[in-house]
Amino acid sequence: MFTLHKWRKPNIKLTSPPFHHFTISLSPLSSSREKILAAARANKPEETLLPTVPSFEGDASAERFTEVLTSIGGQVIWLEGPEQLQQVLTQLFPDSRISASPLFPGTLPVDALTTTEVLADVDLAVLPGEIGVAENGAIWLPEANMMHRALPTITQHLVLVLDHKRIVATMHQAYAQLPSTGGYGAFVAGPSKTADIEQSLVIGAHGARSLIVLLY
Amino acid sequence: MNHATRAAKFIGDADRTTWHDETLWFVRTKRDKAVYAVPEFQDLRELASQIKNHTLSKLDFYLEQFEEQAKRNGVHVHWAADADEHNAIILDIIRQHNATRIVKSKSMLTEECHLNPHLIANGIEVVDTDLGERIIQLRDEAPSHLVLPAIHLKKEDVGETFFQHLGTAKGEVDPQVLTEAARQHLRARFLAAEVAISGVNFAVAETGGIVICTNEGNADLGVNLAHVHIAAMGIEKLIPRLSDLSVFTRLLARSATGQPVTTYTSHYTKPAADKEMHIVIVDNGRTKQLGRPDFRASLKCIRCGACMNTCPVYRRSGGHSYDATVPGPIGSILSPNIDMKKHSSLPFASTLCGSCSDVCPVKIDIHTQLYKWRQVLAEANEIPASKKWSMKLMGRFLTSPRALGIGGKLARHGIKFLPYSLTHARHFNVWAVARELPEPPKQSFHEWYKQQQVK
Ligand code: SF4
Repeated sequence: MFTLHKWRKPNIKLTSPPFHHFTISLSPLSSSREKILAAARANKPEETLLPTVPSFEGDASAERFTEVLTSIGGQVIWLEGPEQLQQVLTQLFPDSRISASPLFPGTLPVDALTTTEVLADVDLAVLPGEIGVAENGAIWLPEANMMHRALPTITQHLVLVLDHKRIVATMHQAYAQLPSTGGYGAFVAGPSKTADIEQSLVIGAHGARSLIVLLY
Repeated sequence: MNHATRAAKFIGDADRTTWHDETLWFVRTKRDKAVYAVPEFQDLRELASQIKNHTLSKLDFYLEQFEEQAKRNGVHVHWAADADEHNAIILDIIRQHNATRIVKSKSMLTEECHLNPHLIANGIEVVDTDLGERIIQLRDEAPSHLVLPAIHLKKEDVGETFFQHLGTAKGEVDPQVLTEAARQHLRARFLAAEVAISGVNFAVAETGGIVICTNEGNADLGVNLAHVHIAAMGIEKLIPRLSDLSVFTRLLARSATGQPVTTYTSHYTKPAADKEMHIVIVDNGRTKQLGRPDFRASLKCIRCGACMNTCPVYRRSGGHSYDATVPGPIGSILSPNIDMKKHSSLPFASTLCGSCSDVCPVKIDIHTQLYKWRQVLAEANEIPASKKWSMKLMGRFLTSPRALGIGGKLARHGIKFLPYSLTHARHFNVWAVARELPEPPKQSFHEWYKQQQVK
């Protein structure tokens, strides 16, 4: 005969009373720093292991990089060689008035001390990128390559020049290649964008309105 | 007012509710597409979870390591036990520089600490520079989502706000045009700013550096033009190694919006020549949460918002119905830790379907914690009387096979004759407000099973 078993409560139990965390007695003089550190020490759980992160490999081709960067609003153009740079730029930006670049002469001289007023008028910055990441179209741009920290975002248009041999598959290989992040540095993936109005994608929020990667 | 009452207000506008629901579900589907394209995504979630667990288990050590490295980098490090101290420290730095022009990029922590009202009360204007944040700042509203702060608004609302505040044409609703207007308006603020305040996505203990992820570039533009940078971070933002960033940067944007990565993943380690950088490390209830074994996992959160986009309750009730800095499933765990009384209805704003836990990139057991909060609240007598008594009766009824048998029979036969006015009496049965009773079955499973035995 079939009998109904007594309904059992779901098997989720509180592992300990929730409000019995340690109270720490401290002299009223102790600073917030000491208080926070003491509370963290007293309340932290038993130590667990820090895992080793495997280097997940993948497709590191320029094709994959191009495909992903294009899908997020960037553009990739191949250069036959570095000497072709200026010619391609003139074709791409015939109306550019004020450009800044460490890669060729005759542009606005910019360094860490250049004033905001001067930077604000730059319409084109052409900077060397260091590492390209195929899985997400990002390019590592260290401070040393920026002329001024604000240049990559304050310029109206940004061009990054990248050696295609420096493209890696995933962020794991990218970070593995970074000796350090320096004082400041950024992975830049495409032009500045927003979707804050009804989720409609608009390119050109506060940073560069366009991003072109020149691969050689 | 509780969550249900506020949600009722939101769903009063059926079209908007449907739009909100569908828009967030669309973001969820974009997330799925991005996630399925990465074969090792589940491994990354597990790694992220383990890295965060480990960090929390040695939090004091990593905090000290981070502080030491940051100081070595020439960064000023401050510690704030609570919101008031956080606000006081920031006001103090601003005053030391006699600054009046402040820009701020997105930071849920400064939101949590109510920094803006504090600065305004002290005569200092802060301009939020993330487009969504600027929109709601102009409207004097709170963000309704972790990464999509203005998702509760339609373009007509934004158009009206910009018409009033930024002088765009009346009736202009084109997102492209509105965004351009905001770009021009905010650019003037960026160029003039003396101090830039930012949040922190990740703080790397071994380098003492912080990482900020944005799509708009507003953090970079603000911080790199202003003379002083103040970054506010909760103690849970730490990760041990630079290489751990590879795991988190692969998870964050994919989980949040389905992008492969945010446009800018910026690493701030040292202040620029002759500039200043401050980091304010904030507790504000976090060490308390660390001491609650059942709820400490909530400190692993990387604020991607995926649990909101997937939540059937959030999608249909809107972020403001939670009346908390962080809304949605994760907010419903974090908020009662800060104020149990005020937020007592939040852990009930869930179907416990578990979808939040399924999408969480750091594997927080969100729905289990919601269930546990309900128990805690019941024990602390923080649930409404109607819920308490109905649950008690229900419990008794369900644990007695006899009562259940008789009750079932009565219901099957009686349901047909019950007057609508009784089953749908608003005050007794909130559940029935938007629902109809089912057609009663002829027999119970128990009776059917007996019949099968006899045959
Ligand atoms: S709880 Fe998980 S899914 Fe929700 S915002 Fe935090 S990290 Fe994202």
